[in-house]
Amino acid sequence: MKAVNFGIDLGTTNSLIAKYENGNIVVFKNPIGHKETLASVVAFRNDRILVGDKAREYMLKDAVNVFGGFKRRMGTDEKFYVVNMDENVTPVQLSTYILKELQQFVYSGEKPESAVITIPASFDTMQSNATKIAGEEAGLEEVFLLQEPIAASLAYFNHQPEENHEGHWLVYDLGGGTFDIALVKITEGEMKVVDHEGNNFLGGLDFDLMIVEQLIVPEIVSRTGVEDFGAQLTTQYGLYEKLYYQLLYKAEELKKELSNLPQADIDFSTDIEGKHYDFYITITQEQFNNIISRRVDETVHMLKQVLERNHLPVEMIRQTIMVGGSTFIPYVRNRLEHATGIKVNMSVDPTTAVVVGAAYYAANKYYTPKDNSDLRIGEDINDLLKDFDDMDDAFSMPLHDFSLSFSYSKMSKETEEVLLVKANGVFDNYSYRIVRADGGFDTGFVLLKTKFTEFLPLLPNLNNSFFVTIYDEQKNEISSLREEIIITQGQYHIAGQPLPKDICIEVDDKENNTTKLELVFEKNSLLPLKKTLYREISKTVKKGSDDKIILNILEGDKFTRPLSNLTIGCIEISGKDLKSDLLKGSDIEMQIVISDNRELSTEVFLVMTQQSFKNVFSITEKQISIARLKEQFNDLEEEIRKTIKEFNFDDNEVWATSANEMLSELLSHKKDLAKLNEKDRSDKKYIIAEAVNRISQAYDKIGGNDRLQNLISEYFNIKEYVEQYLMTCDFEKDRLQAKFKQLTQGENQLLRTRNPSILIKAIEQLNKLGWDVLMNTSSYLIARYQQMKSAPEWDYKNYYAAQSIFKMADKALEQEKFFEFRQHVYSLTHLVKYEESFVKSNDFNGTGIG
Amino acid sequence: MQHTLAIINQVFEIKQKLEQDNLAGKFERNFNRLFSAFEEEGYTCNNPLGERYTDSRSDCTANIVGRESKNMMITQVIKPIIYQKENGALTLIQKGIVIVESK
Repeated sequence: MKAVNFGIDLGTTNSLIAKYENGNIVVFKNPIGHKETLASVVAFRNDRILVGDKAREYMLKDAVNVFGGFKRRMGTDEKFYVVNMDENVTPVQLSTYILKELQQFVYSGEKPESAVITIPASFDTMQSNATKIAGEEAGLEEVFLLQEPIAASLAYFNHQPEENHEGHWLVYDLGGGTFDIALVKITEGEMKVVDHEGNNFLGGLDFDLMIVEQLIVPEIVSRTGVEDFGAQLTTQYGLYEKLYYQLLYKAEELKKELSNLPQADIDFSTDIEGKHYDFYITITQEQFNNIISRRVDETVHMLKQVLERNHLPVEMIRQTIMVGGSTFIPYVRNRLEHATGIKVNMSVDPTTAVVVGAAYYAANKYYTPKDNSDLRIGEDINDLLKDFDDMDDAFSMPLHDFSLSFSYSKMSKETEEVLLVKANGVFDNYSYRIVRADGGFDTGFVLLKTKFTEFLPLLPNLNNSFFVTIYDEQKNEISSLREEIIITQGQYHIAGQPLPKDICIEVDDKENNTTKLELVFEKNSLLPLKKTLYREISKTVKKGSDDKIILNILEGDKFTRPLSNLTIGCIEISGKDLKSDLLKGSDIEMQIVISDNRELSTEVFLVMTQQSFKNVFSITEKQISIARLKEQFNDLEEEIRKTIKEFNFDDNEVWATSANEMLSELLSHKKDLAKLNEKDRSDKKYIIAEAVNRISQAYDKIGGNDRLQNLISEYFNIKEYVEQYLMTCDFEKDRLQAKFKQLTQGENQLLRTRNPSILIKAIEQLNKLGWDVLMNTSSYLIARYQQMKSAPEWDYKNYYAAQSIFKMADKALEQEKFFEFRQHVYSLTHLVKYEESFVKSNDFNGTGIG
Repeated sequence: MQHTLAIINQVFEIKQKLEQDNLAGKFERNFNRLFSAFEEEGYTCNNPLGERYTDSRSDCTANIVGRESKNMMITQVIKPIIYQKENGALTLIQKGIVIVESK
């Protein structure tokens, strides 16, 4: 026995599917467009069958082949003649299409074997049985039926489980196109629909139309003087048909806005009788309420009729449960409450209440799954054995004697690509369907032919994944024949030349007083390439000053330091070029273009000064910024010196010798570099830049794998240390955890760089965080405090001040005011002399691009 | 996500209104910036105006004006198509609302 768990609201206008899972209800969304609802419409187009919202588009224009509202005809012998197919379809067949399509919503890929399907309270036995048959034809082994008002009540009752629900309830269901009112009675835990009433042509769509006809058209008539504009607007294939659809859409949006606001506006432009008009119409909630009041009163009247028929005074009704999207309209709720005196309940989402209730009901219904090893009805064991003997290779035979072969281009620069399919074997009345994984393309059900083509639209610069699914005559999916086709758009086109290396720009890394690379175009991207980057200026540049903003474009490896890359383009904007001061935080836009013949052009736009700087570089010509080169030189020198110290400390003589040699070579250029100025036209800057680049790359290689392994292991040690101490940290835990997450989230990329200096920086940052964590941990603060308290007087810049802090800290500690104690320890650390050595100089200039 | 979609739709509508009055050129840089910011957040906005319309286009909800034919074109876009990029894959999160006419 298995729980059914799946609930289906098979509605007149829209349908939904939901599942009960671990105490929660999941309402599944359409993988195409991600809406919870599926329009209950089926379209038999020339060569394909469309189900749902897509089919609804053709309802007015292709009425002889498109069918909606067939739920009302369930259980009748009525048939719909499909002109395109020259055959009849029954309401059951149409419902089967909807039920099968709903099953596609279940994203887990699970195939519902059994489901609860809801039916209106008005359905008789024939109609109920017809619904059951539709469920079975849709592949459900067992179908349970549940009346819609009961389902809605269940959704509400499960929302308020502790209350006693005994008594009479009303379920008021005002949807997109239909209205139903049901009286539900609960006695001793049993729920029953006692009576019901309804109107199949009353709902939200009527309200949209009323907005257009009664509120918008009069405004148009009064402005234009065209008296019969209303009639012209609603004429099929008329002059204003385009405007009509636009207004209907806007009316729906307005209706939603008026559910929350006292007034809302509609604006549109149109030409009427050769003259252009711009309309801006304000509509109040009161105006809207006035036009819909008559229709709402009709529903109230039906409600009262139900009560009168059952001799029930309003006091006997517990509450009115609201169902259907149109009950979101405040006037509907207020009018209902006011006219009946019965409390209105909106605690459950009215659009999904029925399907949610069905899924709750399904959680307590059980079915016995069919054992597939059982003999099929009407089959003899000998027949099955005969089938088995007839097979040449019983174990390698496909389930269906049928296969497909595809022909298509796996890579394309076009916006659509043709797919040629050849079907082999027996496939009478089979159909296929091709859906793009993102939901933007769906062929619907198309009858399978021996050979066919489909034009597949492609989204740019992406792997476009398409699923080809085959269905048998009953539109059941043959899952073993499902195929995935991937076409890469914009990549590896033979005519296009791929980039040999990454192209990056150099941006400031303020945290580490250095610069880092930011990827613009990835290696192997196809030329031509164009991208606009939006960043902020990271330092203020005064008008007329020598300060600079430097856009350095580099070619190399995005995982390395800027120094190790080749500068292929550079724009320097000095204070002297500016029309006004350029403030820190103002915006900078940088457009970088590489043409087919690898010509690089850049355009920098400073939003604050509204200035544009353009440059075109030929990549055979190196571009060097002397200011940036000087700073890079100093960075590298400092880094190598620091590393030499560390190598010496670890007794790594061989590595230290190599590093010393590099330092000597670097320093041999220092004098020349100092003499260089921006006007220098000699080759010196290129020679020095080449040396810095070469030494930087060589420096990264010192110690080879051993050094890398040491650093990786150091990285993981410090990471583990910080992670461990984070758990016991007492203050600012959230901030510190977020910082930890931020530092470690790019770990995979970091390890892939195999670059010692990048690893060293990551270790330093984690180390810094480790100290921050300790300074927010009470036990560490106490130990640190005791240490500082016992330090000699000369360790302090102002021992007198320190002594007064000692007193306050002791008091806070005694009273267990740890937060206050922490502040005192912080203050003390600033008074200790040795702390000064940790303060870094802040004369970093960088690129000025943050 | 709903708020982001609402903002994108508003920006799209403002752009359309400016285009109607031939003023969009003045704000081109600002719109490029806005749409680039949406893309950085994972939202790609497509304007299908002038594109071919077929039965298979499930990225739009169409209102067909006039008689339908085999050569249909999108002649007005009321709401744009919006995709969301997550883990490198795109998902359609808003169908375009369009008006379609015979060529």
